[in-house]
Amino acid sequence: MSIPFLNQLFSLPSDVISAWILTIIMGAFLTIYVFKKKKWPIIWQFMRTTNHRKIGTLYILFGILFFLRAGIDSLLIRTQLAVPNNDFWVFQGDKYNELFTTHGTMMIFFVAMPLLIGLMNVAVPLQIGARDLAFPFLNAVSFWLFLAGAILFNMSFFFNTAPNAGWTGYAPLSTEVFTPDVGNDYYVFGLQVSGLGTIFFAINMIVTIIRNRAPGMKLTRMPLFPWSSLITSFLMLIAFGVLSIALYLLMFDRMFGTAFFSGNEGSPVYWQHLFWIFGHPEVYILVLPAFGIFSDVISTFSKKRIFGYPAMVVSIALIGFLGFMVWAHHMFTVGLGPMANTFFAITTMLIAVPTGIKIFNWLFTIRGGVVRVTTPMLFALGFIPTFVMGGVTGVMLSVAAANFQYHDSHFVVAHFHYTIIGGTILGIFAGLYYWYPKITGKVLDDKLGKWHFWLFVIGFHLTFLPMHITGLEGMPRRVFTYQWSDGIFLLNLTSTIGAFLMGSSMLFLGWNIYKTHKYGLNTGNDPWNGRTLEWTVRSPSPEHPFEPMPVVREIDPYWYAKVNKRRIRTTANVRPAPISVNTILPVLFAFSLFVISIGMIYTWYWISVIGGTFTFLLLIVRFLNDERKAYYREEHSHE
Amino acid sequence: MNEQQAVLFKDRQFGFYIYLFVESIMFATLFATYLIFTPSSGGPEPSEVFEANSVILSSIFLLSSSGTLIIAEKGLKHHQTAKIVVGIGVTLLLGLLFLSLEIHEFYKYAEEGYSIGVNNFLSSFYVLVGLHAAHVMFGICWMILLLIQYTRKIPYGLYTEKQSIFAYYWHFVDVIWVFIVILVYLPYLV
Repeated sequence: MSIPFLNQLFSLPSDVISAWILTIIMGAFLTIYVFKKKKWPIIWQFMRTTNHRKIGTLYILFGILFFLRAGIDSLLIRTQLAVPNNDFWVFQGDKYNELFTTHGTMMIFFVAMPLLIGLMNVAVPLQIGARDLAFPFLNAVSFWLFLAGAILFNMSFFFNTAPNAGWTGYAPLSTEVFTPDVGNDYYVFGLQVSGLGTIFFAINMIVTIIRNRAPGMKLTRMPLFPWSSLITSFLMLIAFGVLSIALYLLMFDRMFGTAFFSGNEGSPVYWQHLFWIFGHPEVYILVLPAFGIFSDVISTFSKKRIFGYPAMVVSIALIGFLGFMVWAHHMFTVGLGPMANTFFAITTMLIAVPTGIKIFNWLFTIRGGVVRVTTPMLFALGFIPTFVMGGVTGVMLSVAAANFQYHDSHFVVAHFHYTIIGGTILGIFAGLYYWYPKITGKVLDDKLGKWHFWLFVIGFHLTFLPMHITGLEGMPRRVFTYQWSDGIFLLNLTSTIGAFLMGSSMLFLGWNIYKTHKYGLNTGNDPWNGRTLEWTVRSPSPEHPFEPMPVVREIDPYWYAKVNKRRIRTTANVRPAPISVNTILPVLFAFSLFVISIGMIYTWYWISVIGGTFTFLLLIVRFLNDERKAYYREEHSHE
Repeated sequence: MNEQQAVLFKDRQFGFYIYLFVESIMFATLFATYLIFTPSSGGPEPSEVFEANSVILSSIFLLSSSGTLIIAEKGLKHHQTAKIVVGIGVTLLLGLLFLSLEIHEFYKYAEEGYSIGVNNFLSSFYVLVGLHAAHVMFGICWMILLLIQYTRKIPYGLYTEKQSIFAYYWHFVDVIWVFIVILVYLPYLV
């Protein structure tokens, strides 16, 4: 939009202005609501909490918020692509680049990750009989770091400098020479800060699962969601360690005059290697927890023990292991040579084997079971065929020679949406409906849930099935338009209609949540006739669960206790619980890193120095006032 | 430390080991970067930049600081204040000496025109050795806080834990330095 003023043309980014207006209006409504209903104490309580359920809830809440934003991005993309030679609003050229960059980055880092981490936070401790995560304080730090990173990344759009080099940030496009704007600095710092949170979370999860299980809950008796969370956490450690260094190097390239990824000596391919050594394990980080959720959901609603439990565990581990040996299949067209391409093609194809094992085990779990088609189960049932289709195109893509044809086309877009939406997002929905009672104490409405499912899945296939064909017809990804003569208009229009159908299905989820909280009744401990320990505690889960502590003697202990009409044995001889506290330090700590990042992005280094000093002060405060002090004093006085 | 405290401490210990594992992944990536880009196709060669004296001297300081830290660790068992305070104090001093040598080295290189953006060998040298130096600096602040804690008479069990966790960190930083000497300096000094 251009406005003539004083004989000059001022161009105003109308998309950014609308976003400001929308945000201010919504913010005003929210503030009025909070004031009227006197919700400040609850907000204050959640800001200081270290309880795993509450932090999980925060992760999920903000995950959904960012889902809306990234979802709107995708609708804008589809509107622009609805007809050939389209000139929708401002989304051509660079604005379109910003659109797919923020859509991709947000969906991966600020939607899928926090939603999964939120579900892990809520469910895993309860499933293994832990009374909280091993380090409750660190858990709060992880969450606030994620939020600080996400807010940083989102802010860039409001200043009309959204990152525009794609979620992969490929060099040399992402270096200072080609994108001198601060947009990609926001990308670097947003991901760096939230990535730090992810690393801390992974450490926390591993220690919790390895050391905080209930007596008798051997690793071989653990439900599959904790299993997949454990292996996912190991992947996070390695993947996010590498990402953080990749971003560190990119930061030096953009701000301090180095040239690792561009110029005569630098190597753009090195960035690709680093990024995909992170990026490929990342997609398994996204999908393995979803596999775990489906395993638990399918077992519960088939009233059967999971089929082939050891094979399930081994295949998760194998997928995780192989996941580190396939990264260069994103780079077949780079020209690494026939040996490298063959190696990475074969390892990629190998991953289909453990994945296939899992698919068959789910089918065999359902076979002969007493199946109840509730909403979570429906999502699990929808997942199996959808994910298989994504897997099949995955094997097609792994054929290095054929990959030259598919590369960077909409065929690839179709493939990864089939795996990430068909796997991760359906898994997140299944988990959300399944554990909703443990989070809030209420069961989401089944009828609305089914509406949500059918609209979402039909919309999904309408959107992405045609992309296989447009991709094979040669439609490149990340390009904002196409011609009538390309003959792909109807397919693209179908995709756009499908995308809006998916978008509208989310309204049913919103309505469902509203309705459930307005009219829903509180449910008991065990609304689904569950099998694992989380259904033995109150809904919503209490701050101090498992008093007394159950003793586990088999897989699905709660189920067999119910079948044999006995109580689960309990014991008073338990390890000490993690020490929970109420503290504002995590929020302040994340805020201080936020301040440092802002200073760095705009090269106002004095702001970074202030932020850094603040970080150090907080670390000192934390070091000198540790929550264990009171605990140790108490113990001391007994001696 | 009683049994319950020992369990909570083992949680921390395990968590911190995992953290050091992540750190080693990060340093490994930086070592890879250095090995890929060194020597560079243009600009100064490592052999003209590095000086054996400063490397040997700073190695002596940092490696012996691991030894003096072990004295402090030995003192923990029987609550020997002298060993603890002297051990930590000397380690702190050696760390400071190392750090000032590092800063001096960087400063001298920059004076001679070998700054970070000159070529990719220097870039990857600075991001790696600089990150290590930042770790030493963090460790020095940590030791100062430990000494403050010790004089403030916090429960002794808690102090033991804090010092033990710090010791893991410091030894780790030392091991990274050994790798830096072997992979970064040695091939171009011998």
